[in-house]
Amino acid sequence: MAVAVVLGAAVAHADARLEARKHFKQGMALIADGRLDEGVDELLEAYSIKPHPNVLFNVAKAYESAGKLEDAITYYRRYLGYRPQDSAGVQAAIERLTARLPPPEPVPPEVVKKEPAAPSGPAVDPALVSRLEQLTLRLERATEALDAREKPDSRKGADPKADELPAPDDDTSDVPYEETVVTASRRAQSTLEAPNATTVITAEEIRASGAQNLPELLRRVPGAEVMAMGVSSYDLSFRGFNQRIANKVLLLVDGRTEYQDFLGGSIWPMVTIGLDEIERIEIIRGPGSALYGANAMLGVVNVITRSPGSGPRASFSGQAGNGAVAGGSALVSGGERVKYRASVGYTQAQKYSRDYDDGRPDVESSFRDSWLGLRSARGNLVLHTSFGRDVSVSMAGGLNRLFTEIYPIGLLRNFYFDGLGGYVQADGAFGPVKVKAFWNHLATDDAGPQYRVVGQRSLALTLQSNVFDAEALFQKDFTLLGQHRVGVGVSTRLKRLGWTYLGSLKQELHAAAFIQEEYHPIPAVQLLASYRIDRHPLLDNGQPGYAQSPRVSLLWRLAESQSVRASFATAFREPTFLESYMNLRTPLPGVNGASVLTLGDRTLKPERLLAFEVGWRGELPKLGLEYELTGYWNVVSDLIALSAVRPLPAGQAFDPDTQAYLLGYFNFQNDPLTYNARGLELGGRWSVLSGLDVRASAALQSISAAVAPGQSCDACRQAPAVKFFFGATYRTPVDVDLGADVAFTSGTTWSSREPDAADPTQIVNNPTSIGAYTVVNARVGYRLFKDKVALSVVGTHLGPTHAENPLGNAITRRVLATITVTP
Amino acid sequence: MKRALLGLLVLLGCEAPPVDPGADPRQATRLSRIEGQVVVSSAARGNVVLFLYDAARPPPPTGTGRPVSFAVLGREAVFGAAADGDLGPFTAPYAFSLVAPGRYLVRGFIDVKGDFIPWYGVTAEPNQGDVGGAAVEPTTRAPRVIEVSADAPSLDVPVSFGDAAVFPFDRPAFSPQSASLELSAGGAPQVLTLSPLPVDDGLIHQKQPVFLARFVDDDGDGVADDANKDGVPDLWPKVLVRKLAGDSGLLDENDVDHNGVLDLGGADYEHLNPADGSTVAADGKSDAVVLAAGFDPSPFAAQLFDAQGKVKATPTPVSALKLVVRPQAFDVSDPRSPAPLKSLPKGRYAITVLQLTGQSWRVPNELSSPYAEALGFPSVASQAFVVTVR
Repeated sequence: MAVAVVLGAAVAHADARLEARKHFKQGMALIADGRLDEGVDELLEAYSIKPHPNVLFNVAKAYESAGKLEDAITYYRRYLGYRPQDSAGVQAAIERLTARLPPPEPVPPEVVKKEPAAPSGPAVDPALVSRLEQLTLRLERATEALDAREKPDSRKGADPKADELPAPDDDTSDVPYEETVVTASRRAQSTLEAPNATTVITAEEIRASGAQNLPELLRRVPGAEVMAMGVSSYDLSFRGFNQRIANKVLLLVDGRTEYQDFLGGSIWPMVTIGLDEIERIEIIRGPGSALYGANAMLGVVNVITRSPGSGPRASFSGQAGNGAVAGGSALVSGGERVKYRASVGYTQAQKYSRDYDDGRPDVESSFRDSWLGLRSARGNLVLHTSFGRDVSVSMAGGLNRLFTEIYPIGLLRNFYFDGLGGYVQADGAFGPVKVKAFWNHLATDDAGPQYRVVGQRSLALTLQSNVFDAEALFQKDFTLLGQHRVGVGVSTRLKRLGWTYLGSLKQELHAAAFIQEEYHPIPAVQLLASYRIDRHPLLDNGQPGYAQSPRVSLLWRLAESQSVRASFATAFREPTFLESYMNLRTPLPGVNGASVLTLGDRTLKPERLLAFEVGWRGELPKLGLEYELTGYWNVVSDLIALSAVRPLPAGQAFDPDTQAYLLGYFNFQNDPLTYNARGLELGGRWSVLSGLDVRASAALQSISAAVAPGQSCDACRQAPAVKFFFGATYRTPVDVDLGADVAFTSGTTWSSREPDAADPTQIVNNPTSIGAYTVVNARVGYRLFKDKVALSVVGTHLGPTHAENPLGNAITRRVLATITVTP
Repeated sequence: MKRALLGLLVLLGCEAPPVDPGADPRQATRLSRIEGQVVVSSAARGNVVLFLYDAARPPPPTGTGRPVSFAVLGREAVFGAAADGDLGPFTAPYAFSLVAPGRYLVRGFIDVKGDFIPWYGVTAEPNQGDVGGAAVEPTTRAPRVIEVSADAPSLDVPVSFGDAAVFPFDRPAFSPQSASLELSAGGAPQVLTLSPLPVDDGLIHQKQPVFLARFVDDDGDGVADDANKDGVPDLWPKVLVRKLAGDSGLLDENDVDHNGVLDLGGADYEHLNPADGSTVAADGKSDAVVLAAGFDPSPFAAQLFDAQGKVKATPTPVSALKLVVRPQAFDVSDPRSPAPLKSLPKGRYAITVLQLTGQSWRVPNELSSPYAEALGFPSVASQAFVVTVR
């Protein structure tokens, strides 16, 4: 057994699910070929990599088919240890098989009495003993190998049999090791059945990548446009239309929005959890409004955290590197009746580059630590308890005292936010009904431009944002001329915002209802139809109105590991508070007596997307290969953007509040152009060897619009035509981990309206080109003490210094050392 | 906490992040600033408007420069709750930010009626009752030239305002007394009568019913000056007939950004060598084209002299000005040496009348349609007038 443990510990896996699936499929193929023992070995190897109860069931079935009833019974009993839903049927099978067993040969009592020390000969079948011993050994190896890799969690309940079993790693799919997502249809389903292009980034991948933040991880997603403005400021879009404060992708953490409704866009460092708390990240590329409503226009990023009580009971990490990178975190997880996961963390980093030097006569930093780019002190607590199989309740809360950079729109430049963010969330599952409620809070009295013009009026701001959200979802499966899965939900959201850029307190009440029907007329065909209607207080020309988001998708599962799909969907992005209510007088650079007014418009229409998508997703499990190919055609209209400067009536030229003359006003308006975005995305993962995984993707896109002669299509030029990603991780058998990834983005041209250098009272359109750039990240890690300690050196942005937006930082190399202790 | 952070930084041997302006043109500049106090000794009340001029391009009456920047100090900031009639002095800090290294002049006025708007020609100058001011040398009272560099801001520049600098008149608003004036190459000079245009409507308060005429006598010898030696005494008001851009609009040719500086790559014409009449090829530089024009003082010349036959120091009201425009064009991109053009550029020309206070009025302007309606100004048909060269 000691040998088995050592061997198990030495086995290395980068993407455990992919490797386990590879062994599982090979095992099933061998069993089908009649090579039972080899096949079972492969299945148990898969089980040792990543436990899944259905593997035990498949082993039992294999033995049963081969007539090895005792073995079958053994594995059925092991399977029952997981308390599966089909326990009754399996128990019946055990009884049936037991009845078929030949009765044990009677041993005369007197013989036993006379020769108690020699129980041999015909009393015991040696083959049976050998087989049982092998069986036991295999299972012990599988279990103990897993023990050596990771402590089992406590989710197995009070069943003493279950206590002997490794936890199934949250893999709840019926088909072992098939990748599942919950974001695409709000229920667990195979990615092969997801109606959208879907990418999953696993916890193992996160760890192996050495990524220091969420957006950097997303560079591996086909079609993702990750634009680093600074060390703490990222903008994300899918399939074009990225911008400063990118506002068309919805960021969720366990289903709770991190999208800042008042601003549009996500403040990525505001998330109160650490990367080590993430179970997986599900990325839906394409419209998601049919389920998630406003703002899930071009995609959804759903961060799913580890279940409380799962994973390591404690974990501590620290990091330090150049660029004043320093930080640490602690994570504990456990509990019996009430399971918990609690974490705290601190992170800081200096900017990649400063816009201005210190001590200048014209411009100065708004805060003393002019080097600072990120400082976050966060804490998060999640509690979970279950009442029986179908009822569970979770409570969660988090706080983040955050300093971060934000790069806003229009004439504004690099901002900072020094404030507090937090949330409280409650989730309940009551059989087919799930309810969720949360409160998101964000507040600061210390924010504004990072650099201020000496002598000019300040744009410092205060902010109080509170979002209250409640949602109920009912899901039911039934059979009627096929299999149906129906989901119905309602939600409401109250937003209250006090922001000096808007004037008085603003409040909006939103509501929505949605329904989804997933119909399998035959098992291989899935027809999915979703419809959501959102009530927005301003959508009907400034009055309450409705946005409707239908989606239909047809999916054909060509084979167990191949599917094709075609879908049509609409999505929308609602006007943000900023776009509806903004009332800001921005000083004209260099003209202290003049400002330009930026006004919101309460009559804006929502941005609209019509999306057509076809996709092919498949696996070659025996090779450990997964791939997807997606083609899309997005028709985007009513984009909300700032207008050119418009004159004000002469009587409104002087603004008594700011004692300045208003040059004119920008206002948010719906762009009359309709944009056609077409693209092709190819992505794949390959478990090349044990421990070696490769992920690669490519995306091509073209955006066009019928612009008038002499006009330019800004959105067309701002979208990179080509993106590539290649990443590899190798978890070597000698406890050294290697990882590297390369992301290439082709050149773009960005337009921004700028005061003319010669005459700041003239606002001119200023196109600026950004050359193609390549982001290179790498990690070298070393595991000690049976993986209890992991040391690593991580390099980010190891390629040439580059900028990803004309107004962004010059992004430079960062190298840091990390240590993770998992006692 | 911050000490700990700083200690950590030292430990890590970290340096401040590099300064990199990237592709942001605003960050790529290295500018300076001018600061100081306005000092007001006057019973006038209103916002204080300060203008910053390039010293090489001074404002009227000594030049034709436009401000490179302006600042506004609200009435409250300067005068607080001072009682009416209180002469002060009142002081308040001001600043010109993001000033490019160079040499500058500071002028200003107190906008007593609150009718100044910098964006429109018809509202961009002081009117009667406004109080002028400037940064001046403390001893000589001459305009102070302020020099700043990227490393050396000018932080103590007082700007003084006093009742001695009250603008006694409104601007020389005028109305051409013909529907049109057309010239053609080789044609005869044309004459146009300008009449005063009192307007007191809405945001426009130009009540002056007369022009104020006076012969120029800068040396004070009582004899009218003749700077260009053309035998015609120089007269206040002065007039400029400047070519406009395009077929519509109010902008000057080669100054479409309206900053008073000729645009690069603009219209360029062949010049005429005045010495021998030969053609001088276009030099690739934008030209500022004006027509040869002046007021004929003969109808009122006698009124401009006193009993001793000397030029009156005070201006004389006149009810009309006779503008004579000759079919000859000049490039005044160097105002000190106007260069004659070989041909007469076709197009539209604006008339600007500049009176001795430095105030001016120009036609066409924003009182013409459709600007007036859009901006909320009174519409005056005559203010659309242009001189046309065919």
